Amino acid sequence: MKKLVRNPILVFFSLFQPIIFLLLFTQLFSGLGRFLGAGVLSYTAFATAGIVLQNAFSSAFQSGTAVVDDIKSGFLSKMLATPVNRSAILFGRLLSDVFRVVVQTVIILVLAYALGVYPATGAIGYLLVIFTVAFFGLAWSGISLALGLKTKSAETVFGIAGAVTFPLLFMSTALVTAGFMPSWMQSVSTFNPVSIAVNAIRNPITGCNVNQTICNVGFDWNTILQAFGVIGGIGIVTLGATLYLFRKVVS
Amino acid sequence: MPGIIDVSQLVKTYGDGTKAVKGISFSVNEGEFFGFLGPNGAGKSTTIKILTTLLQKTSGSASVAGLSVDSDAPKIRKIIGVQNQDTVVDEDLTGRENLVLQGQLQQMHATAIKERVDELLKIVDLADAADKRAGFYSGGMKKRLDLATTLVHNPKILFLDEPTTGLDPQSRAAIWAYLKKLNEQGITIFITTQYLEEVDRLCRRLAIVDLGEIVAQGSPGELKQEIGADSISLGFENSSMNGGDTRKRAREVLQNRFDRISNVVDSDIGLTVYAKNGSYMVPELVRAFDEAQIRLSTIGVSSPTLDDVFLKHTGKRIRVEEISSANMRGMFGRRRR
Repeated sequence: MKKLVRNPILVFFSLFQPIIFLLLFTQLFSGLGRFLGAGVLSYTAFATAGIVLQNAFSSAFQSGTAVVDDIKSGFLSKMLATPVNRSAILFGRLLSDVFRVVVQTVIILVLAYALGVYPATGAIGYLLVIFTVAFFGLAWSGISLALGLKTKSAETVFGIAGAVTFPLLFMSTALVTAGFMPSWMQSVSTFNPVSIAVNAIRNPITGCNVNQTICNVGFDWNTILQAFGVIGGIGIVTLGATLYLFRKVVS
Repeated sequence: MPGIIDVSQLVKTYGDGTKAVKGISFSVNEGEFFGFLGPNGAGKSTTIKILTTLLQKTSGSASVAGLSVDSDAPKIRKIIGVQNQDTVVDEDLTGRENLVLQGQLQQMHATAIKERVDELLKIVDLADAADKRAGFYSGGMKKRLDLATTLVHNPKILFLDEPTTGLDPQSRAAIWAYLKKLNEQGITIFITTQYLEEVDRLCRRLAIVDLGEIVAQGSPGELKQEIGADSISLGFENSSMNGGDTRKRAREVLQNRFDRISNVVDSDIGLTVYAKNGSYMVPELVRAFDEAQIRLSTIGVSSPTLDDVFLKHTGKRIRVEEISSANMRGMFGRRRR
């Protein structure tokens, strides 16, 4: 199953959207930078974090449809009839998904670098970004896997993914700062896990504080650790549910 | 002596209350070619899933090679090969890679895998296409590859759930020829299929299941003998319009005027009558129906086949489904993502 990663077409096409976002969206809103906060030097640099996260977000939802495909095609049954450890089947799936997200993230970061986005915290900052994204991807894959195992319908997973993705993304700090939003949305954004994760990814890239008012602050550990806590919490719940549902499907 | 597969009073009730298997018992001897037949929904797949440790039974007992399907599932998985109804090959991988992957899933050593894979590619005649992606294979080639993946670890027992459904006659014949060869090499084969002539030719023993129960078991010869009669197939004109009524009247005629008839069952076109020396009865039958003003469209006599055995025990003819959309998908390939 891990070998599916080698299908380069899949990696490429799922990258289409983030790349278009990166190339066009950032150009479209390039003038927005100066309204967002004094510290925002370039909108591209600001939005890179949001695009990286959005990619992880939608990529993670593919896990659920993939597992539905495995069930429907009989691939899962075929593997279950071999002596392979049951949980290895699930973790293999998760690992390959995380691996894919990491590859995609690296491609986006390289592209952003070509567009002039230099990491304020250097290579270590980028490693932290990749680690955070991988962690987020893992937790979020759990949601889609659980949905896939529960509903056994790719359409349902897609539907829920579509319904959830954009509201969560737009009511977050993925593409604008909190100060730019109406106040009700600000309060939603504060509790939106996407905002929390995106802030933790943005800090190493821009080197600014959460509201982008002060820059050159280095690592903002408060933001980063808070994000890890929230992602970890989501991960425990979603992966727990996945494990539980997987056991039910397997028995 | 206990069989290599032993099933006793096996029951499976699904969560929604459906009783798929209602206490079946049978046993398969080592080295046997065992057919498991039944109409759709009879409980065949459920039974195979329990025996291959993919599904937990509700009650009763089932063992494979003396190992319990509950407590020794991991050990069973090492010695069985399982082919599902669907053809499952990874189309992004080549034929060879598919086999190697399966060897890895079976936790074999790399050198052993390499040797075995080369051997298998020859056995299923895929050596030439070994390094092409399976996505480019024809339906028959995919099925052969799928069969080969179940053999990588030299299983003692092979479970096959409708391995030839949806294949063209030539590919089907090829698969059966491989199975025959494997069986001669000592592999026990447990198979469900809808192709009765092949079962007749290859299976040493078979069981017929219907509605979750075994209605007959024995060798093809025994089962056919049990019918002990030729079958006379009667087709009525207008049987589609008032078939029920015509059948009812015809049954009355048969009951009143013939005493050598052993059984009468409904068929698609009318009735099937079982009687000794059936051919001698034909003139009398024609006369009797003529007098009763029941118009016959066809009349045919044949010595018993497994299909008759099947019909007698399940009230249905086994029917090979036309190439349906599902099968077409299997033939032209399904993309895995």
